[in-house]
Amino acid sequence: MKYSLLLPSRFKLIGIILLIPSLVLGLLFRFRDFTFDFLTLTRSHSFVNGKNINLDEQINLTDELALTGLMVGLLFIAFARLKHEDEFIHHTRLQSWQWSVLINYGLLLVATWLVHGFDYIDVMMYNMLTVLIIFIIRFHIVLFRNKRTES
Amino acid sequence: MKNTIKVERAIQNITQQELAEKIGVSRQTINAIESNKYVPSTLLALKMAKLFGKKVEDFFQLERGD
Repeated sequence: MKYSLLLPSRFKLIGIILLIPSLVLGLLFRFRDFTFDFLTLTRSHSFVNGKNINLDEQINLTDELALTGLMVGLLFIAFARLKHEDEFIHHTRLQSWQWSVLINYGLLLVATWLVHGFDYIDVMMYNMLTVLIIFIIRFHIVLFRNKRTES
Repeated sequence: MKNTIKVERAIQNITQQELAEKIGVSRQTINAIESNKYVPSTLLALKMAKLFGKKVEDFFQLERGD
């Protein structure tokens, strides 16, 4: 049987290679305000609220780079085909997605009531990645547990 | 649903790995089926039946409540 929507298995390694530097960059950006100078762009606005005003806005793309690396890396790991992808693995995959979406929204609901103001933006940011992280963890735990009980 | 695949394997004298290779799945899958964690597709059940030379009902049985 063919299982679509999966990437070749080498993408798992590519994902990990992409994930590690992106994670380091993301943490440095978030907690040490680290940015790459060459990623600073100037955006000029000629009109603001209908008035003719020249305004230069500086934007830095370090966080965009880190987040893209994290998302693509995690997606690659989550969607990489296992060496022997069969119906049980496929079943475990779908079950793990269901699990991760449920837990993800459970966490988001709790955070919606407990976290307020600007901190909530952090919650939203982490939440973009948690669905993938929870999936990867749960999927591998199930496979590991099953492997351990092999007779 | 319960199954007696382990018994059938013993009769055929093949390991989980060998059975897996013969029907084109991973050893993990055979293990999950034998420990009743996973109910295989009809396709896989029929492949096993062919290999064991038996009917599917001979090694897959419904349980009360199924």
